[in-house]
Amino acid sequence: MKPAPFDYEAPRSLEAAIALLAQHQGLARVIAGGQSLGPMLNLRIAQPSLLVGIRHLPELRDVRQTADAVTIGACITHAEIEDGRIPDPTGGLLPYVARRIAYRAIRNRGTIGGSLAHADPSADWVSALALAGAHVTVCSPRGERQIAVAKLLLGAFETQIGTDEILVSVTIPRLSARARWSYYKICRKTGEFAEAIGGVLVDPDNGIRRAVVGATAGAPIVLEGNAALPGCDVAALWAANIDDPYKRQMFEVVLRRAADRIAA
Amino acid sequence: MSMNTTSGRGIGARLRRREDERFLRGQGEYVGDIRLDGMLEVAFVRSAVAHARLRGIEKPAGFEDRVFTAADLAGVRPIRAVSGLKGFKVSEQPVLARDKVRYVGELIAMCVAPTRAEAEDIAAQVFVDYEELPAVSDMLEGRKPGAPLLHEAWGDNVFLETFVDGNIAEIARRAPVKITRRLRTARQCMSPIEGRGVVAQWDRRLDQLVVISAAQMPHITRSGLAECLGLDHGKVRVISPDVGGGFGYKGILLPEEVCLGWLAMHLQKPVRWLEDRREQLTANANCREHHYDLTVYADNDGRLLAIDCEATVDAGAYSSYPFSACLEAAQVASILPGPYKFDAYRCRTWSVATNKPPILPYRGVARTGVCFALEVAIDAVARAVGREPWEVRLESLPTREMMPFDNITKKHFDSGDYPECLRRAVAAIDVGAIRERQRRGEPDGRRIGVGFAIFCEQAAHGTSVYYGWGIPMVPGHEQCQARLTPDGVLELRIGAHSHGQGLETTMAQVAHSVLGIEPENVRLIHGDTALSPYSTGTWGSRCAVMSGGAVAAACKEMAKRVAKIGAHLLQTDVSLVRVADGQVIGPSGSVTLKEIAYTWYRAPQNLPSDVDPGGLELTAGYKPVRDTGTFSYACHAAVVAVDVEIGTVEILKYVVVEDGGVLLNPMIVDGQIYGGTAQGIGTALYEEMPFDANGQPLASTLADYLLPGPTEVPDIVIEHMETPSPYSEFGQKGIGEGGAIGPPAAIANAVNDALKDLGVEITEVPITPARLLSAIAAAKVRSAA
Amino acid sequence: MKTVNMKVNGQPVTAAVEPRMQLADFLREQLRLTGTHVGCEHGVCGACTVEIDGMPARSCITYAAMCEGAEVRTIEGLVDDPIMSHLREAFAAEHALQCGYCTPGMLVTARDIVLRLPDADDARVREELSGNLCRCTGYVGIVRAIRRVLDERKS
Repeated sequence: MKPAPFDYEAPRSLEAAIALLAQHQGLARVIAGGQSLGPMLNLRIAQPSLLVGIRHLPELRDVRQTADAVTIGACITHAEIEDGRIPDPTGGLLPYVARRIAYRAIRNRGTIGGSLAHADPSADWVSALALAGAHVTVCSPRGERQIAVAKLLLGAFETQIGTDEILVSVTIPRLSARARWSYYKICRKTGEFAEAIGGVLVDPDNGIRRAVVGATAGAPIVLEGNAALPGCDVAALWAANIDDPYKRQMFEVVLRRAADRIAA
Repeated sequence: MSMNTTSGRGIGARLRRREDERFLRGQGEYVGDIRLDGMLEVAFVRSAVAHARLRGIEKPAGFEDRVFTAADLAGVRPIRAVSGLKGFKVSEQPVLARDKVRYVGELIAMCVAPTRAEAEDIAAQVFVDYEELPAVSDMLEGRKPGAPLLHEAWGDNVFLETFVDGNIAEIARRAPVKITRRLRTARQCMSPIEGRGVVAQWDRRLDQLVVISAAQMPHITRSGLAECLGLDHGKVRVISPDVGGGFGYKGILLPEEVCLGWLAMHLQKPVRWLEDRREQLTANANCREHHYDLTVYADNDGRLLAIDCEATVDAGAYSSYPFSACLEAAQVASILPGPYKFDAYRCRTWSVATNKPPILPYRGVARTGVCFALEVAIDAVARAVGREPWEVRLESLPTREMMPFDNITKKHFDSGDYPECLRRAVAAIDVGAIRERQRRGEPDGRRIGVGFAIFCEQAAHGTSVYYGWGIPMVPGHEQCQARLTPDGVLELRIGAHSHGQGLETTMAQVAHSVLGIEPENVRLIHGDTALSPYSTGTWGSRCAVMSGGAVAAACKEMAKRVAKIGAHLLQTDVSLVRVADGQVIGPSGSVTLKEIAYTWYRAPQNLPSDVDPGGLELTAGYKPVRDTGTFSYACHAAVVAVDVEIGTVEILKYVVVEDGGVLLNPMIVDGQIYGGTAQGIGTALYEEMPFDANGQPLASTLADYLLPGPTEVPDIVIEHMETPSPYSEFGQKGIGEGGAIGPPAAIANAVNDALKDLGVEITEVPITPARLLSAIAAAKVRSAA
Repeated sequence: MKTVNMKVNGQPVTAAVEPRMQLADFLREQLRLTGTHVGCEHGVCGACTVEIDGMPARSCITYAAMCEGAEVRTIEGLVDDPIMSHLREAFAAEHALQCGYCTPGMLVTARDIVLRLPDADDARVREELSGNLCRCTGYVGIVRAIRRVLDERKS
């Protein structure tokens, strides 16, 4: 179970990394912590000709705070968030989610940006950051653009990020002191990918009532405003083509339980 | 001769393990750690389809001499694991596929390169032209007339059909309670954390093939290699180094072993293949896939009257060496009655060939399946008669006074108190408190339930049990070679292999109990056919009884020889001395084993003139007084909480009351029970290797095939009873497998107890959320109708 | 081939590696540090867990070429570490190992738990250990051994 041959470059700057991607026109892949890509390489499911390493780039480890938001570099690890080494604008949601991602050894190397770009629908950040109303910034030779996490996934392992773009940071809005959140996921066992994720966020000071259903076949389902609470309008789920009755029941339950925890 | 059982270091002591020191420092040596000069790595091309005729294999241009197919392996014979049972149909398993492939993962070609990665690169370029055939992916479909045939010459897909025909008609007619259930256990991968691995090399000096393999039964592997490669046994040496867990998975002659043996001879270079996890999950041996149509007859107290069963075992594509494709199903027929007494029994079994990997006996072998089937049915009996499941069981267990007890299939239970075992489990789990808690209900809305499973574990099966199977391996006497070195160290050589069981420690404890020699001064040498007496190896929970018996026999013989020399040195009569504390002790003085050894080797002038010229090096053999096996037994009790909305099962409490006879080392015994129970929890709740209708395996990583982790296994409570076996050397019984037998039954019964008000009854493991929710949904439909 | 410089068990190492070489294979095959075991090669079983820059990490899904400047410690490099000595003692006392294959990775994780979570209760210990699979022990002895070290370090 060894990877097919690939070349590896560790560019010295973000610009150089972007240039490398452009040169290799879709045959290169970015690697940060490699905790999702590594297994796919070893299994030869992914066979890029070039890996562009970015985890050492200082630009991608920047953390910037403003009055409204915190922007976290893409190569900040789950463990750094878990341990509170990064400012948390969400009143505990980020470290709570981080601690429940896979296992500590994975969290020590896996990155927030890598997880989003990998776009596994059952991964946590895809749902949790959609719940938080976060957006990502991607960078290419054409410049920067921003994508809401809720809109990032086009499907399983498919995103709006172009083959010549790099996800450089995640911007998470600050919640008010009165904000309440809950995040409930079902896994077959500790550390496994989720079977179903339900999240609810209520922030009266910022006018947010939002619910998220994750670990679907693609992008998480985000319900805004009155649709989100109370009890959540589960009819919105059927529109997402969830026909497996078992899966549907899971989504109903996680959403209800997440909502109940907010109410409690 | 006195036994040193009170020193705290012999039999019965919780002695720390000798082997731990190297493992804790990363100094163990497993097959993957072995790197020989000039060694090449092997990767295999494996079948991508479950059933096909091979129209052709194209080697990639430029790599013709690095790729080997069946056509290259002149003179290599297929693996044939026959059974002498009447009607058994023989499968011939070519080590590299010839005309047909019969499961996904079957070996087609072997590629060599300096590194594994490069070997995989070559393998990816080999083109295989398949003419696909319809596949048999379900054993019941495979039994039907008109099913696609795996082995055309057979005319059907049945390796073997067996029938135990007791007359049950009369009892069936008058029995007031009749419970019929259809039950299934899933196909599993045994999943030791270390996979298989082989290093092969031709030793020019000894004119001998050396195969280093992660194997439980090196002597059996040697026989198999000799047969397949057409070599005499003297030209084959098998070494089994440190091995990272077995559980049955490493008790097979692998086609890969034969291939690498051939390759090492052909290339005259060392070669290595290390199984990766995907190969282990999707291509190598599986186990445990049973289907039962079971009817239990009982009286109004729930006392068992008769059992009628049709059982089918999915044996996979080929008969594996040495246990064969039929051992499991035929064993179902002989052990389904479990620990119970009743009057009439009928059982028909089929071992069915399917387009899946061959099966092997996994820890507990067929017992885990039969225990699940029968115990779930007995709980249904209890519900039918309105009694507690444990009360119903007490009606049918043989009592202590009945021991030794021959059950309906002539299994000879050697000793024990089965009802007491059950009663202790009932007390330890506190059924009364659980019933009260059930009445109150759970604050979180979950439903709790309690379940029991009681079973016995036949171990150390001897010749009389095995010769009837007629398979390539029949256990006989077990030997130990003992040698006292010139400085008084005791070397023990045994043919069994320790891969986690701690034999380096327990065998030293046995020696200490016989000779009083300090365990530190005992060295166990094993895992090498050149250095150890022939043995069928490590399987069937046999080492404590058989290797322990052999070590005791060798130490006793050694005691006689040292007593003779010691008495001479003490200038007294041999009848006046005893061997204890590592010395020969006479009426007025003593002499150490070290001094005696020195005398034999370095100062023979001081020996008595009539000394045994065999010296301080000897082989002794052992067979129990009765070789029908020891019967340890246990009762498992589980309390679970079921979340009926999401189908999850949490184990709140788990109790094991075990009677393993005299325990050689209680710490190690507990470890075996903990570990076995964890595996049984995997069988009950997590582990499943599904296949689609085309025979494609659907779990290729450990994210799909779920092994229980630390949060899935509770802190298991163990209670011991220690009823000695009347037949083994110290009264010890084999206990290695028992832990893995009970959990699916106990947990399923607990789940069914939790959900009984909903009319839900689980009859299939693993109890996944999807299965549980669909059972709940079906019960709702039933109750609405 | 890529040239990589790292420190392994305190020693500077410079080596030419194929970019696809797993750190585990580099340690085992090139440096002959075979105490790090390979179990699943996809990051689930934890047998290959080593310390990279002071933190447990999977050496099967980390590639040697990507460890430029890293400090790697394996079970062999932790032999004289006082916490590891304490854990070894506790693992032997509590029968926390059988075949020994998962043990090096388990110890690297256990050491991290002891250092990072001195107040962990048993449930937390189990949660933190969930990235290391053991097929022999049922985890009972492992959890007890870590418990013992945590308790003894407090008193």
